[in-house]
Amino acid sequence: MAEDPLSHPALDKAAGEEFLREAFQIILEEAVRKGTDVTEKVCDWRKPQDLQEILDLELRSSGEPQQRVLEHCRDVIRYSVKTCHPRFFNQLFSGLDPHALVGRMITETLNTSQYTYEIAPVFVLMEEVVLKKLRELIGWGSGDGIFCPGGSLSNIYAMNVARYQRFPDSKQTGIWALPRLAVFTSQECHYSVQKGAAFLGIGTDNIYLVGVDERGKMIPADLEKQINKAKSEGACPFFVNATCGTTVLGAFDPLADVADVCERHGAWFHVDAAWGGSALLSRRHRHLLRGIERADSVAWNPHKMLMTGLQCSAFLLRDSSGLLQRCHGANATYLFQTDKFYDVAYDTGDKTIQCGRKVDCLKLWLMWKANGTEGLEKRVDRAFEFTRYLAEEIKKREGFQLVIEPEFINLCFWFVPHSLRGKEGCADYWERLGKVAPAIKERMMKKGSMMVGYQPLGSKVNFFRQVVTNPVVTKQDLDFFLDEIERLGTDL
Amino acid sequence: MACVIQEVRSDDHNGPFFDSNKQEIFQRTKNAVLVNGVVLNGPITDSKAGEKFVEDACKIIMEEVIQKAADVTEKVCEWQPPEKLKKLLDLEMRETGEPHQRLLQLCQDIIRYSVKTNHPRFFNQLYAGIDYYSLVARFITEALNPSVYTYEVSPVFLLVEEAVLKRMIEFIGWKEGDGIFNPGGSVSNMYAMNLARYKYCPDIKERGLSGLPRLVLFTSEECHYSMNKAASFLGIGTQNVYFITTDERGKMIPEELEKEVQRARKEGAAPFLVCATAGTTVLGAFDPLDKIADICERHGLWLHVDASWGGSALMSRKHRKLLHGINRADSVAWNPHKMLMAGIQCCALLVKDNSDLLKKCYSAKASYLFQQDKFYDVSYDTGDKSIQCSRRPDAFKFWMTWKALGTTGLEERVNRALALARYLVDEIKKREGFQLLLEPEYANICFWYIPSSLRKMKEGPEFWEKLHQVAPVIKERMMKKGSMMLGYQPHRGKVNFFRQVVISPQVSREDMDFLLDEIDLLGRDL
Repeated sequence: MAEDPLSHPALDKAAGEEFLREAFQIILEEAVRKGTDVTEKVCDWRKPQDLQEILDLELRSSGEPQQRVLEHCRDVIRYSVKTCHPRFFNQLFSGLDPHALVGRMITETLNTSQYTYEIAPVFVLMEEVVLKKLRELIGWGSGDGIFCPGGSLSNIYAMNVARYQRFPDSKQTGIWALPRLAVFTSQECHYSVQKGAAFLGIGTDNIYLVGVDERGKMIPADLEKQINKAKSEGACPFFVNATCGTTVLGAFDPLADVADVCERHGAWFHVDAAWGGSALLSRRHRHLLRGIERADSVAWNPHKMLMTGLQCSAFLLRDSSGLLQRCHGANATYLFQTDKFYDVAYDTGDKTIQCGRKVDCLKLWLMWKANGTEGLEKRVDRAFEFTRYLAEEIKKREGFQLVIEPEFINLCFWFVPHSLRGKEGCADYWERLGKVAPAIKERMMKKGSMMVGYQPLGSKVNFFRQVVTNPVVTKQDLDFFLDEIERLGTDL
Repeated sequence: MACVIQEVRSDDHNGPFFDSNKQEIFQRTKNAVLVNGVVLNGPITDSKAGEKFVEDACKIIMEEVIQKAADVTEKVCEWQPPEKLKKLLDLEMRETGEPHQRLLQLCQDIIRYSVKTNHPRFFNQLYAGIDYYSLVARFITEALNPSVYTYEVSPVFLLVEEAVLKRMIEFIGWKEGDGIFNPGGSVSNMYAMNLARYKYCPDIKERGLSGLPRLVLFTSEECHYSMNKAASFLGIGTQNVYFITTDERGKMIPEELEKEVQRARKEGAAPFLVCATAGTTVLGAFDPLDKIADICERHGLWLHVDASWGGSALMSRKHRKLLHGINRADSVAWNPHKMLMAGIQCCALLVKDNSDLLKKCYSAKASYLFQQDKFYDVSYDTGDKSIQCSRRPDAFKFWMTWKALGTTGLEERVNRALALARYLVDEIKKREGFQLLLEPEYANICFWYIPSSLRKMKEGPEFWEKLHQVAPVIKERMMKKGSMMLGYQPHRGKVNFFRQVVISPQVSREDMDFLLDEIDLLGRDL
């Protein structure tokens, strides 16, 4: 008689655990140890078509043997960029914190969603504690919030909540019959403001860009001007976004002045501190965000400067009247039953636009438990000092030119190769200079020695944006950084 | 701000950071470079201690979660009321850090009091079980911590995502298409709604909705609640979601859809989107896609299929007919983290259009990220298709499982889940006190447990009111006992009933028998 497959579990536990054990060794060795080893490459560059062939991406009818799958693991690790490498400076995140990593691995293994207490009791409670801590650092004694899948979504949430607060009926009626809603943000803001305005049905034309000064900071007088302009056009100014730590220059908008303007016009004051928020942990540097407690909402991404790992993005709200719940709630009866045997106020899942939601609080919480607020403060201070050191070194070195004096940890500079030095007067100087950074970037990636980003900004041609958040970076790495740029670019 | 750089050198030996040789550490401290009093060239984190923590913690994860995952003698959950759990957990975040052993203890506590969604008797949600391959992929992801916006930063994961999307598109039945992975099916549905709106009137991206004709969308009354959330979020408004009645099997009635579209037109509104559901959340019903597609074609409406839950039936040659007609959709949401156990989150939005519509709709062309003068073909930088900036490589865990199991392996999983569901249905029909709500066509088995005290009662208002109170009590008892977890809910006028969901290949007949026995055991005195 044929054996009935349904009578036994169809899961090979022993083989699965063996696979896991072997893979874990590979991960520890190849990704963690080698990835953080300064003598290894940051990236093993391959052209897209070549990489496609190497990786054997095809998904076939039959499965592959264990050993082959382990080889895939090795290949994936090998050809991935080592964002934990001491010389990965390319994005606003880098490094690998062991406690956060464990938090993330526990999160993956437990594989649950954050919507209700019954399904995620520990994490529902933990998220509240973590958000409360972040709010305290902002300067709020109470408030609300949630973790979002990214700072972009935090900003979009803010825009939606602001709209709902002003026009609560619009949740049901939509915004057809409303006057044109106007959004105000600096021209140096993160592009999620544009994406948000489009997504929410507000329209990118209704974003009024406010001018910035030579340091990249919003000009409050221009904000006032833009708001008045919008009003005169019959639009409704309902939302102002100030940035603390702009993406490229790392500039901080003058929050107290912006708050004054918002109060005067009754506009919601949101602070996009996705990048700069972590400066609040440093007693020495928190002054950069002076006035943040006057905000109605704040976006803050610990996955950037604090190295929790993607994603860890908090959306924080000063309101404690349940505005977030009212704005987003849909009261789905299959998930948020009101007749549960515990206090359903703990089921916070309806505050979000998501249904299933990843647990993002554990990695931050565990890392904070391991380091304490003081330990995290040290990291933040260290990042500032790295930048200070580099800025001073750049001033000493020939061929390096700061774009502006950094107030945060974005270090923006041009490298001017010998062939262009002293030629600032030439008509095509800037055009030629703009070609330098891309060429050096290509060389460094093909060599695998380091990674740093470049971009144009306004009328400024391509310049490097150096960002150091990883606490394992040392002075040696910083010196290497400058030497390497020179080495790679000297003959251009 | 004045910058004070002090260099204290005694020799030139600044060795590599990760050498655990004590001599090196001593020398590094002697060669301290200080900037404003902060040491720059010495470590402020001990990498060896960090690695040890990772190893020790992984041992705990292995023993406490993974090895116990398939063990039915372990509890599914260790219930504690919220106020008590707060005290047990020591959640406070303090000024100073805690020692190694204490941190490991915290990890153990977190694991102990968390619900074991890997357990064979966890049936509470539309995800369950453990997949070793996707777990390894997730560990790799965490160790590498990539963000999938550009080829330069995450070359492998970007190519993997493209390969997975391509394959999923083939299973839907499109020759080509586009897509992206999102943080949730709700977000996928929002993307589709926004995309349909953009297709209808591309100017809305810039102009917004103010002053435009009222857009209206249509979806079944059994749809996922993300439809409402999406309508509000996008500025369309929940009033402009027209719910179409369903038949006794929970499926959208096409004739009603036609009626509603006509009604909307008469009102002077602008119908633009129909969202059909393939696998509704509670009943697991599949809307008749062919007939709905006919109506959409006739009226020029975008057809989105929310197949977040039911999409995985496409992997099974036996069951894919449930989604017959899906190739006529303009967009599909499909969550492999549900039936295919890819791990939260793994949610794809697939789009039939191959003219870059997704990118046109979402792009903002940020010059600091999507530079046009890179040294490689920048069409590989797909991040601008998304509303997110940083984004997780969610496709990778699905890819890993697919590689390991092959399409056949995934098909077997789906077939097994549905076969077990059939077994449970047959058993329910045989057992006294258990009553099916309807004959399921997928993996949702909805039923009432009627304790003996109610079995003789006539089915009137009093009966239903009493029955309504049964499931919550049994749920409470099962959670406090920790023997299993399954969900209940009221639904469309029907009082609280259980919704059993079968997903994991760990689950066998024995667990189905146990399910019924346990419910009876826990509820017979009610």
